[in-house]
Amino acid sequence: MTFQTYDCLQMLPIILLSLSGIALLFLGFQKSRALLLPATLLFLVIAFVANFLDWGKTYMYFRDMLLVNNLAMIFTGVVLLSTFMVVSLSGSLADDEDAQPAEYYAILLFSLVGAIMMIGFENLIMLFVGVEILSVAMYILTGSDKRNLRSNEAALKYFLMGAFATGILLFGIALLYGATGSFVLSGIGNYAHSATNAGGSMLLFYVGMFMLLIGMLFKVSAAPFHFWTPDVYDGAPSLFTAYMSTVVKTAGFAALLRILSVSFSGVYDFWWVAMAVVTVLTLLIGNITAVYQASFKRMMAYSSISHAGYLLIGLVGLSQASKPAIAFYSLAYSLSTIAAFGVLMLVARNRPLNAAVFGDQTTLARTDEHYDAFNGLARKNPLLGFVMAVSMLSLAGIPLTAGFWGKFMVFSAAADRGAVWLLVVAVLMSAVGIYYYFRVVIAMYFREGQTDTIRVAPFYRIVLIAATVLTLALGLLPNLFQGLI
Amino acid sequence: MEGFFMAFYRMGWHRTAANYVRFIANLRSFLSLLSMNTASYLPSDYIPIFIQLSLALGFIVVTMLVTHNIGPKRHSVKKDDPFECGIPTQGDARAPISIKYFLVAILFVLFDVEVIFMYPWAVNFMQLGQEGFIQMVLFMGLLLAGFYYVIRKGVLKWE
Amino acid sequence: MLTLFLILFPIVAATAVLFSTDTIAKTAALIGAIGELVIVGVVFFTFVANDQYQFGFDYAWFGAATNGSSGVRLSGAIDGISLLPVVLTGLVTPLIILSTFKQTYTRPTSFYALILFMQAALMGVFVARDGFLFYFFFEAALIPIYFLAAMWGGENRIAVTFKFFVYTIFGSLLMLVALVYLYRQTPLVSGAHSAAIADFYALNLSAKAQGWVFWAFFIAFAVKMPLFPFHTWQPDTYVESPTPATMLLAGIMLKMGVYGLIRLILPIVPEGVNIWGSTAMILAVIGIVYGAIIAVRQRDMKRLIAYSSFSHVGLMAAGVFSRSEMGLQGALIQMLAHGVNVVGLFFIAELILQRTGTRQLDQLGGITRNTPRLTVYFMIILLGSVALPLTNGFVGEFLLLSGVYGYNHYIGLAAGLTIIFGAVYMLRMYQKSMFGQPAPRTATFVDLAGSDSYVLLILCVFVFWMGLYPASFLKLTEPAVLNLMQFIK
Repeated sequence: MTFQTYDCLQMLPIILLSLSGIALLFLGFQKSRALLLPATLLFLVIAFVANFLDWGKTYMYFRDMLLVNNLAMIFTGVVLLSTFMVVSLSGSLADDEDAQPAEYYAILLFSLVGAIMMIGFENLIMLFVGVEILSVAMYILTGSDKRNLRSNEAALKYFLMGAFATGILLFGIALLYGATGSFVLSGIGNYAHSATNAGGSMLLFYVGMFMLLIGMLFKVSAAPFHFWTPDVYDGAPSLFTAYMSTVVKTAGFAALLRILSVSFSGVYDFWWVAMAVVTVLTLLIGNITAVYQASFKRMMAYSSISHAGYLLIGLVGLSQASKPAIAFYSLAYSLSTIAAFGVLMLVARNRPLNAAVFGDQTTLARTDEHYDAFNGLARKNPLLGFVMAVSMLSLAGIPLTAGFWGKFMVFSAAADRGAVWLLVVAVLMSAVGIYYYFRVVIAMYFREGQTDTIRVAPFYRIVLIAATVLTLALGLLPNLFQGLI
Repeated sequence: MEGFFMAFYRMGWHRTAANYVRFIANLRSFLSLLSMNTASYLPSDYIPIFIQLSLALGFIVVTMLVTHNIGPKRHSVKKDDPFECGIPTQGDARAPISIKYFLVAILFVLFDVEVIFMYPWAVNFMQLGQEGFIQMVLFMGLLLAGFYYVIRKGVLKWE
Repeated sequence: MLTLFLILFPIVAATAVLFSTDTIAKTAALIGAIGELVIVGVVFFTFVANDQYQFGFDYAWFGAATNGSSGVRLSGAIDGISLLPVVLTGLVTPLIILSTFKQTYTRPTSFYALILFMQAALMGVFVARDGFLFYFFFEAALIPIYFLAAMWGGENRIAVTFKFFVYTIFGSLLMLVALVYLYRQTPLVSGAHSAAIADFYALNLSAKAQGWVFWAFFIAFAVKMPLFPFHTWQPDTYVESPTPATMLLAGIMLKMGVYGLIRLILPIVPEGVNIWGSTAMILAVIGIVYGAIIAVRQRDMKRLIAYSSFSHVGLMAAGVFSRSEMGLQGALIQMLAHGVNVVGLFFIAELILQRTGTRQLDQLGGITRNTPRLTVYFMIILLGSVALPLTNGFVGEFLLLSGVYGYNHYIGLAAGLTIIFGAVYMLRMYQKSMFGQPAPRTATFVDLAGSDSYVLLILCVFVFWMGLYPASFLKLTEPAVLNLMQFIK
């Protein structure tokens, strides 16, 4: 066991993020909270730059535990960018007496470490550790609105269900180890190839594989393992919902993509039907249930389920094309989702009336997050209206936006496999999706409502504009991103 | 309709179906394997276990029956009341306990478990050498940073 | 390069209008649209009548890879088939803007900017040479028109336009699946992926694949036009939209569907058309008769024109599916003619509404008494749309009907009903609104003047130009149509 210096320089983002998380905890002891947000953003920028230092190379780090290649760097970049945007929308935390911004930021950075491990894992142990780091952080952040009953309920639900899913995941890993004698992805992949050819019993392997997949599908909220999603996303503070629905999903799909393409591609014939069924279910449940929501935030929860379905299409049609497709889709989805939540937070905060009208806000439905809250928004706040409209268009997959190319790439990957019937289902569900995404646009532009001009902090504004510009730029020039892969 | 099946066919439906059949077959052979393994043990080999089990169960059942049947039963308001150390009960049993208990308990578990890592290092202290020492210092440094954070946060203040 | 300007110029103009002030928005938009018309004019008069693509541009866009895939490209050009829709778009847009000069719309900067954005997207649809670029503009055209209709529309606008939006998006999503499928099939011929429409022509698909690609495309275009079972969004949307939006919808956007039939369906899936073309044709003819019968019963002028448009577009579709040179030529020229006529008719309905406050035929009448200009213009445009010889409608409908008749006599006869019914409901509308005793509302009717008059005058010029000298258009389109026929046979 030699302690090689390069061995610690690489995976720089993980080390930097861990250290900066600790630094933030100590920064929190200062009286003033003003420094926290800029410091977090600075740390994220440093990690972002450090992430791309290895560009163009492929390394295996920590005794073949973690892999870094271009794809992993891109996923890490997406995750870091999403976090950067979410954090920059958190300015109001500094004024909130109940909030603990230093801890929140530190937890976010720690959870990113987990996400990066999920993206680059080469060993199932790393996958498990990554999933746990990310999940535990999420359990805490979900419940961070301590005085809100719904936030508490969400945290408890998420924790119980998540712990259960982790158990299944771990069981799956154990069975896979039992079957193959290896935790290493490529080792498992070799076993899958040789054992299928040999024709021997693969019972343990298959059961392990399905348990592992179920555990991961739970994390990315694919149906029928999605039941926790609406309550958790709805109950958690919007800021962390934005984080959960983007970073956790991106990391989860990066992990699924890795394990399916490296370890299980040899037994594609065996799992594709199961995954296709999950995909169809996810698309149906996500989209159709979203139609019935009165709350925008809850709709976004179901929308995140449906987007898990579109991403799963890329996995069912597993090929080389899936990798850029899923990376691009994740980026497009993250940008629009964060922008949408950014507007939602402004709108919800600007409607203090509800507390007076409906009494105790903790127990009743949060009407300030309903569609009605957006009525007439675009009249007085053209910028917010436009940002939201572009996000919704992108989520709905309308051309001119990044979301369209995301869908296009995912669909192409599946078309390669000849799964045209899956595309037809996806397309029908996209049409359903337009229905609920456009409810917001209709409310903002065509309905009358009493909305004052909402004051938006300059930095907040810049982030919203940047997300919108990126969405449109990727919609017009998808090559910007594709050139990277 | 035929096109639909063709799509399945092209995606390897038939192979998949065959795989599922094989899966079921494997399941059966796996189960038969289990029964084969048990056959190599004679039933008499289990006798000690059965004795142990019946003794354990028997003791519980007998004690319960005996206490219920030989003790005198006298009911009164006072006697049927739940009590604790002879003091009258106060309030609900689910009374909230100060969060500090939990914090101290969880911190104890945390640090206790972390210290376990020092044992293997201590045993192999010489072999691990300087490099092992650096790693241990790093580890303890992080741990102490956490400890310092906990103290600064005032978690251990009992007021 | 000129084609690229055709798309970019309205976008620049629209952006300028968006950031101008409320007072000058109208004029700025008109200047922008006239600038575009000048470019279209240059294209029209320098277009060489052959089967080549002209004024083209071509840039890499997406998915170009080292393995030689050309991927999805930003490429567009004009040939004989796209020329007439381009001319229509260039011509009608300034007229639509001019027609609003006597009205005020709230938030005019957004209003006129959206019209110009719409123009850019429509141009894009008609010049795209890449399947996905086509799809891209096909969808992009929907956004401005949706906002135009839903923000400035009538009472029921939200529900009605939403129905329209979901219908059309649903249709075009099916087209997207078909395009993705075709895109992924291309390596079979050229060794690399390409989304160029020309490469789709060269694909050799099985009859079954062609069958379902046909339906995926057909539903997309049938919703847009609209054809018989997919038309239920149309009358309500036309009525509830503000008239400029209605003109865009009926005048130009409807032609996207017909254009798509000619550009994509016929050459890409000839075998599919062979199998299903007659079904599509029957649907189209049902639409012709059905739309006409309903139109006869309408009281609301705008609704009547909406159904007449539904009926006419059925004939265009039937002509396309006759797969004859006459049918295709007829469809191309009828696209232009119908665009001119229907814009004029909707404008007249709007003028009458402004002056009398109603579009109900039974509350109108006797307008002719003191309105010589309106009477004449209305009559000319009306005759154009009932296909009287020497007017533009005659050329198109004659060619279309001969195409359809050549395909099948009985279908041709049924389609011919369009002329009879057209005369019935159009003349009924004219008689009820213009002749007879003046109703209370029409007693003080003021004749046209200024901008309103110019719009109708220009339209009437086109009615006669196309009616008297159709060869000036037909000879430009003929080589391209003949070229296309090779792919069909």
